[in-house]
Amino acid sequence: MLRVSKALAVAVLLSAGAAHAQTVTMAMSSAPTSVDPHYHTFNPNETLDLHIFDRLVERDTQSNPIPGLATSWKLLDDTTWEVKLRQDVKFHDGSPFTAADVVYNFDRIPKVVNSPGSFAIYTKTVIAMEVPDPYTIRMKTAAIYPILPVDMSNIFIIPKGLGPNPATEDFNSGKNAIGTGAYRLVSYKNGDRAELERNDAWWGPKPHWQHISIRMIANDGARTAALLAGDVQFIEFVPTADAARLKSDKRVALAEIASQRIIYLWLDHSRTGTPVFITGPNGETLEKNPLNDVRVREALSIAINRPAIVDRVMEGAAYPAGQFVAKGSWGYDPSHDAPVYDVAKAKALLAQAGFPNGFRITLHGPNDRYVNDGKIIQAIGQMWTRIGVQTSVDAITWPNYVGRTNKQEFAAYLLGWGFTEASNPLRSLIYTFSPAKGWGAVNRGRYSNPTFDALVDKAMTTGDDAAREKVVIAATKVAMDDVAVIPLHVQKNIWAMKAGLTYAARADEDTRVMDLRPQ
Amino acid sequence: MREETPFRRFVSEFAASKVAVIGFVVVVIVALLALLAPLLAPQNPYDLAQLDIMDGRLAPGAKSLTGMVFWLGTDDQGRDMLSGIMYGLRISLSVGVGSAVIAGVVGSSLGLLAAYVGGWVETAIMRLVDLQLSFPAILVALMILAFLGKGVGNVMLALVIVEWARYARTARGAALVERRREYIEAAECLALPQWRVLFRHLLPNCMPPLIVIGTIQVARAITLEATLSFLGLGVPITEPSLGLLIANGYQYMLSGKYWISFYPGIALLVTIVAINLMGDQLRDVLNPRLQR
Repeated sequence: MLRVSKALAVAVLLSAGAAHAQTVTMAMSSAPTSVDPHYHTFNPNETLDLHIFDRLVERDTQSNPIPGLATSWKLLDDTTWEVKLRQDVKFHDGSPFTAADVVYNFDRIPKVVNSPGSFAIYTKTVIAMEVPDPYTIRMKTAAIYPILPVDMSNIFIIPKGLGPNPATEDFNSGKNAIGTGAYRLVSYKNGDRAELERNDAWWGPKPHWQHISIRMIANDGARTAALLAGDVQFIEFVPTADAARLKSDKRVALAEIASQRIIYLWLDHSRTGTPVFITGPNGETLEKNPLNDVRVREALSIAINRPAIVDRVMEGAAYPAGQFVAKGSWGYDPSHDAPVYDVAKAKALLAQAGFPNGFRITLHGPNDRYVNDGKIIQAIGQMWTRIGVQTSVDAITWPNYVGRTNKQEFAAYLLGWGFTEASNPLRSLIYTFSPAKGWGAVNRGRYSNPTFDALVDKAMTTGDDAAREKVVIAATKVAMDDVAVIPLHVQKNIWAMKAGLTYAARADEDTRVMDLRPQ
Repeated sequence: MREETPFRRFVSEFAASKVAVIGFVVVVIVALLALLAPLLAPQNPYDLAQLDIMDGRLAPGAKSLTGMVFWLGTDDQGRDMLSGIMYGLRISLSVGVGSAVIAGVVGSSLGLLAAYVGGWVETAIMRLVDLQLSFPAILVALMILAFLGKGVGNVMLALVIVEWARYARTARGAALVERRREYIEAAECLALPQWRVLFRHLLPNCMPPLIVIGTIQVARAITLEATLSFLGLGVPITEPSLGLLIANGYQYMLSGKYWISFYPGIALLVTIVAINLMGDQLRDVLNPRLQR
């Protein structure tokens, strides 16, 4: 506390009167688990660390890779990336940033002790590194790997001067919290607050705020209340129920954007014979799983009034979806906007598929995981019942629920998926379940389509970004034409701030106070 | 006074308190509303086909797309609050009364047995009662439901498990006094079977305190069920009880849509208060030490 007040006093003295204008207090929605940027792949850690440390590759608001500590990158051959580094960059301790620091970071990441979520998933594809000069680095991968720049956008760089495998605790104490970033860490109190001071030697555009005070306020209502009371000027993860109210409040401004978090329904493809949680219209056992018929899947999809769910349940805090990525993002397939709600067509499709009287189904979902999850499945239950598919709705608490989804215990069930890059959901969710390859790892519905798999294979071996986007779009079209899953909506990321400030809303959920400016 | 039957005397003593009579009348009305809900309610709130999300969160008095009037408004799924409350009362009352009766039967039997048999049986039962009562009821119920999963049946089971101990303690206390009386000795001298002594002679004379406990426990069970449902562990989301209706509206309280939580809350409050008013008067009337 003494350190905090000292830091505040310093900030006040330095800016002589104009202090208030240059100090901002921000509330995070959950506390970081450490200041060590290689400790835990966890969004709150990223949000704190991105102020102190830089990455080789940064992301723009739509998550496209842009230069960070690396100024350019290109494929020399199929398995060699050449990365050019920014010159004249200095760490907070004055040491210069060079290629040797990058090598040191790739070496340290797999060695972090007790990491609850290792960053090694982003470094493991690099099998060798060459340093032809201090500002050039060549990275070798075992096979062609076009999304290495995306992986690099997750790695924060610390100076090699910290020595072999510096201890995570020393980052929390501030001793090792040395980066090249826009701010220096002044003090950090786990689960409570962090104080940051501007690094005027930063290579990027000068941030407006001399001093940032970050508070951790996990309770949604308390965070909103702190903003309204003026205790903080900037909050992240505005709850949907408050967003509508804040929008009409003149004291605050909102910034929102489509996130990379899709809410969707799985359908069971794992059974061709008697289905689970599906019976005939009068409760009789069915010989065949109706969900194997694409007409049934399409009927279920177009029976859902997505705009109504977004408007009524999500209170506008989402965009209706017909695929994983949001409109305007890299890899968006223009032929699959959100499916149009059409009860008559849905009934006709069911009749064609041999279910003129529908069937009975139980729709499962969690009730404590995603925004309004229990309410969404109830609304879908109403809509399906209206086309003759008599739907029971069962909402289960997340810890009990998620294990059962992995064992193919349900017929139709709701889940969400967050990602940073468009090919990720295709590879992880829709690709044929192939544990050995590591793809289709979370393909809960066990959808399998060789045409689709071939396209994804092609995408992952295409180095050129533009050519790869075409293949990703083609793969998306195959999966969505076949209604492999039923996309519902893409959640919005919403930030709220004091009126008079503006923030560049980001698809990746990062909160960057550097991007908060007076209007 | 001699010509009066005990029942008449009981009725006249009960009616001496106007408040208790009001409580009784309210309980009867609530029970009728709950019983006749399928006939009286404008909508079946558990039938998803009758709900339309486009009617969601309408204010009291608003009309639906099909022209139906929602006198108490709708919740976020477009469920008529009036129908929701009537059906919710059904669940609340059946869970409350059901669990109180089952817990009463189980608890009183064990309590009587403990008092009558004595020895290690009594020790075992009464230590179990002590153990049970040393845990907060809500905690035990939460644990049971987390383990068993949701559902009206499971809620009742959980409530029986947390409630039986109170009956057992009361029944034992009453039976310890009664069993030293001469009529029990007489029955035993006639070599009547033990179950007959226990249930035909001992039990009826221990009833008054049990009835009082029972009334209070019904109210307690209703509150507990509402709490569990409010926390999302009680009834299924498509068949809301009063607690779940309140929980559904909770997030909208700050945005001015008060009716989703407010009216079920009032219904719950009125029901509980009415039952407790009745229970208080019953306790006074049935307590032999309180002679008026």
